[in-house]
Amino acid sequence: MGIHIVKRDACPLWKKAVLYVAAVLFALVIGGVLLLAMGVNPLAYYGRMFTMGMVGNKIAYKAFENYLKVFVPLALTSVALSLAFKMRFWNIGGEGQFIMGAIASATVALKLGPVLPNAVTLILMCLAAMLAAGLYGVFVAALKVKFGTNETLMTLMLNYVALYVLTFLGDTKADWNFFLQEKSARPVFESFASFAAFPRIMLGKFGLNICVILAFLVGALVFVYLKYTKHGYEISVVGDSAGTAHYAGMKVNTIVLRTVFLSACLIGLAAAFKVGTAGVLSTAITEDVGWTGIIVAWLSHLNTAVIFVVSALISMLHYGSIAAAATFSKVDSSFANMLQGVILFLVLTAEFFIRFRVVRNKKGGKQ
Amino acid sequence: MEMDKLGVVTTFIHNIVVYNIPLLYGTVGEIVVEKSGSLNLGVEGIMAVGAIFGYIVGCYTNSMLVGILTAFAMGALMGLLFAALTVSLQANQNITGLTLTTFGLGVYFFVGNAIKAVAWPAMSDYSSIKNGFADIAIPGLSQIPVIGKGLFSHNILVYLGVVIALCMWYYLNRTNPGLRLRAVGENPGSADSVGINVKRVKYLHICLGCGIMGIGGYYMGLNMSGSFNSACWINGYGWIAVALVIFANWNPTMAILGTFVFGFFNTLRVSGSSLAVAFPEALGWLAKVPTQLYQALPFIITAIVLVVTSVRKREGSGLPAALGLNYFREER
Amino acid sequence: MPEQYAIEMRGITKRFGTKVLANDNINLNLRQGEILSLLGENGSGKTTLMNMLSGIYAPDAGQILVDGKPVSITSPEDAKRLGIGMVHQHFKLVDVFSAADNIWMGREKSGFGLNRRRYDEIEAMAKKFGFDIDPRKKVCNMAVSEKQTLEIIKVLYYGAKIIILDEPTAVLTVQEIEKLFAVLRRMKQEGHSIIIITHKLNEVMDISDRVAILRKGQYITTVNTADTNEQELTEWMVGRKIDLNIARPVVEKTRPLLEIRDLTIKNDEGATAIDKVNFYIRGGEILGVAGIAGCGQKELCEAIAGLRPIQSGLMIHKGDNIVGLPPKAILEKGISMSFIPEDRLGMGLAPSLSITDNMILKNYADAKGLFVDRKTGRADAQRIIEELEVVTPSTETPVRRLSGGNVQKVLLGREIKAGPNVIVTAYPVRGLDINSSYAIYDILNQQKQDGVGILFVGEDLDVMLALCDKIMVLCHGKVMGVVHAHKTTKEELGLMMTGALDLTDKYEDKPAGIARDTNITQEQLKAAQEEGEN
Repeated sequence: MGIHIVKRDACPLWKKAVLYVAAVLFALVIGGVLLLAMGVNPLAYYGRMFTMGMVGNKIAYKAFENYLKVFVPLALTSVALSLAFKMRFWNIGGEGQFIMGAIASATVALKLGPVLPNAVTLILMCLAAMLAAGLYGVFVAALKVKFGTNETLMTLMLNYVALYVLTFLGDTKADWNFFLQEKSARPVFESFASFAAFPRIMLGKFGLNICVILAFLVGALVFVYLKYTKHGYEISVVGDSAGTAHYAGMKVNTIVLRTVFLSACLIGLAAAFKVGTAGVLSTAITEDVGWTGIIVAWLSHLNTAVIFVVSALISMLHYGSIAAAATFSKVDSSFANMLQGVILFLVLTAEFFIRFRVVRNKKGGKQ
Repeated sequence: MEMDKLGVVTTFIHNIVVYNIPLLYGTVGEIVVEKSGSLNLGVEGIMAVGAIFGYIVGCYTNSMLVGILTAFAMGALMGLLFAALTVSLQANQNITGLTLTTFGLGVYFFVGNAIKAVAWPAMSDYSSIKNGFADIAIPGLSQIPVIGKGLFSHNILVYLGVVIALCMWYYLNRTNPGLRLRAVGENPGSADSVGINVKRVKYLHICLGCGIMGIGGYYMGLNMSGSFNSACWINGYGWIAVALVIFANWNPTMAILGTFVFGFFNTLRVSGSSLAVAFPEALGWLAKVPTQLYQALPFIITAIVLVVTSVRKREGSGLPAALGLNYFREER
Repeated sequence: MPEQYAIEMRGITKRFGTKVLANDNINLNLRQGEILSLLGENGSGKTTLMNMLSGIYAPDAGQILVDGKPVSITSPEDAKRLGIGMVHQHFKLVDVFSAADNIWMGREKSGFGLNRRRYDEIEAMAKKFGFDIDPRKKVCNMAVSEKQTLEIIKVLYYGAKIIILDEPTAVLTVQEIEKLFAVLRRMKQEGHSIIIITHKLNEVMDISDRVAILRKGQYITTVNTADTNEQELTEWMVGRKIDLNIARPVVEKTRPLLEIRDLTIKNDEGATAIDKVNFYIRGGEILGVAGIAGCGQKELCEAIAGLRPIQSGLMIHKGDNIVGLPPKAILEKGISMSFIPEDRLGMGLAPSLSITDNMILKNYADAKGLFVDRKTGRADAQRIIEELEVVTPSTETPVRRLSGGNVQKVLLGREIKAGPNVIVTAYPVRGLDINSSYAIYDILNQQKQDGVGILFVGEDLDVMLALCDKIMVLCHGKVMGVVHAHKTTKEELGLMMTGALDLTDKYEDKPAGIARDTNITQEQLKAAQEEGEN
């Protein structure tokens, strides 16, 4: 008696939903067992985590504001990455591009912020970040186009180069280094929150950061761009078959460069949003969105709308675990990383059952 | 005075080896995995898991051998996870690898913090670990002036790493299982058609490779004297290993050379200033170079190697033709 | 006592997905020491059925008996152990390995160390079976026939008593086919039982003892070869009596539309793929291009479409030089190129995109504004689906989900929709069943009657002899001559394809491949010459 697997043509939506939900639930059960072993009540912990500590909290609006601060960069980065992935360009350099964008926007904020009106500074910050990140990304695309350099490994390397540029700026006290506070003897990043910060729309006590609205707007634009424009059409043809695109008279190289530039630009924009909200640089400014974004984009099957949903859930996991750590000091945020890993492993397993069927080999053949 | 200067050089060479052998473990492990046709981006996480379990179990049992075996087993277990997902469940290798890194680092800190909350085992308290990690001079060779002490007086794990690399070269190129492994990485369809059990070959070598990475992680923990703080012991070495595989052209003996080249720059970061002091006129400028540049250099060099190899498109590339592609027998 | 067969398949059923029933309750048996032809159109389930014997696929239902004993074959390993060996149509060889290593890697109980003596052992073994190979030669340096020989040696080395060959003649010349058949007959005498998959009737009649016929996944019958004929087999194969003749309408020809002079092209490896080739196409004619696979056909097509740079020479379209023009400009001149590669989807179509999206591939940029015009594309798709009888759930179905014939109809339909004056088409009927093939021939003939010049790169000489007006034969990038299709024979073409016969100087009064009423001016020739000298 053996089994073998066969491909499915299509899987009904309800079955997909059931499989995904089952995967997540199962992961939570595994996490729960771990929590029990640590002497923590999993229901209480998960309750705290998924409400992100907002229930019974007088400053719950504050918690939601903070949650959105995690959500916006992740969603925008994932959307940006999906552009490149749609073209089967494995840009795993989100981290590096984000950092370059962050440094560029901080430069604008520190140098021009004090002299320019806030709105102008913010716009310039966004533009500078997009340009810096875009160039950092398009450099790899150019190498790929010109020499066929493997973009996965190249972007990977550049992530670390960018990271060490940032730590260099953060660690080096010098006259020229305007990124650091002049007065402090230890190297500390200078804050620019007082003259370069994204405005908030006050809804009662809750302040809706304008970046949230902008992120959704950009998401909608990318959705339309990919689905209805000539550029979007070109991206899907190049991604599906570069040979066919070439054959159809498309300028494949130009399309690759343009799309990767755009993808990296949007990552830069995400960085500008992050920097303009935080009001200060930090060596951990990316909060790993470059990595997590890859996973989000892939899990969402590069569907822009789904990316927002998945980003919201993953952000909930991350922010929620930090919130929960305040109550459950035994469980630190590494638990969230582990839990995320388990969830992903099980979701990947669920995808297997969506794509394939397991069939038992039948014996016989007698009529 | 002259002797001192040479002593600095000796120390420098010694440090190249001591601090960078984990790269060799990671690289050789990844070569074995990639030769089976799987691109595993989870090296960092796998090394971390091997490191934390190897260190803790090794200390608790006060046995370096148990530490090594535990590190290997935990690395292999991570490999098993990767294999189950990508070989049996056909999951995307890039995503699985990245997730393995997140997961592995999560496990590293989770376990580490949990142990630390109770009592962190300090390496100095465990005599056989401490002594086991002490340098062993190779008679004769270590007597060579300057380089002898630098190259031939090291801890047992250094020698083990080199031996593993040489064994893996032999295994890949001079044995029947190695031939079958290469066949699977080049063209799983043809390997399958002649009766090679593709799944078994992939599972075995993914686990073997990941186990080797695990030992590399354990080494890093020991080399940090087991001090556990907010930075992971692996500290990006897993990613450099992924890069080194390309530098070494999927050849384990070339990985030894690659480790030296990368290690050289890495060591300049740590010991560059002592060279600057010893040779103020020739190498004084070394002290002025920011340490972050040295940290970034391995990545910059790999990037350059990547570009150069892609420009040359050389013949005889060791790149397995089916790398990164999942094999599904009934694919039509 | 019932006869003991070498292989008996009972009630074998295999599905792919929920829709495709590749094999439906099939019964097949193979006698000891016979050659059995498995005949059927493409898509009739021959390869699928055989893949269940070789362990690549697992049957959904049914039973297999080897030497009268029921067996379960769940992997190629099982098949090997049972003495079943298969030579696949797409060779299963590791390119970077030597001949010996390709065989050695599947050897069981070979111990740990890789012994150098393996080269001698393999060579000696090959000699024993009557083959001469260089065990150290790497597969990537081998010719197609060498690779096939290696595959056969491999199967024999593993001790197969039952040998399955999937379309072994598709890539061979007439002479090589003769050699292969001699080998098969010898193996039969030595007691091997052989199944040969093919859809070429003359080969069936030539080599086999019995013929089993499949049609659309159904088992039809098995007959003794001696008791049947080609006409009868065809009827079983396609299910109804069909006219084997392909029409060749006579059309008035125009002046040359596309003229090629002294064209030299390199392939991806930098070797010369097309070597100083001359030819021309007139409106209203079909010029066939025959040659063994990989003789520069692909490079030639790509160069005409502007997808591949040329080394030297002229390509003149209606008097204008098109050398160096981008693909888009060549398209706009009315030159359409469609190339069906072996995987059928590689060039010309984006497999994951819908039929609509594939319709607009070449003219999406003409729409005004930022957005693509899918409305027109959808209408075009609808029209092609109706006119060419494409079987598809909707215009929004990804092309990947269509069957081979429908994919090719979509591709050709799009090309013709643009109203080209020159059509370059390579392997347009590759892998199609007879009915679909005829639909394609009709489309091409219709275009020819409309005054379009057609370059038809083909595989099946019978088809080319019937369909084309003239046939140009390529051998290793050189033209071996251009012959009138109604004046030549298959044997002559075969000889030219192998380079044994050179007919370039057949007509003494006229240099081969150069039209008397050429559109090429002296200045163009001179400019090309000067460029060649520099």
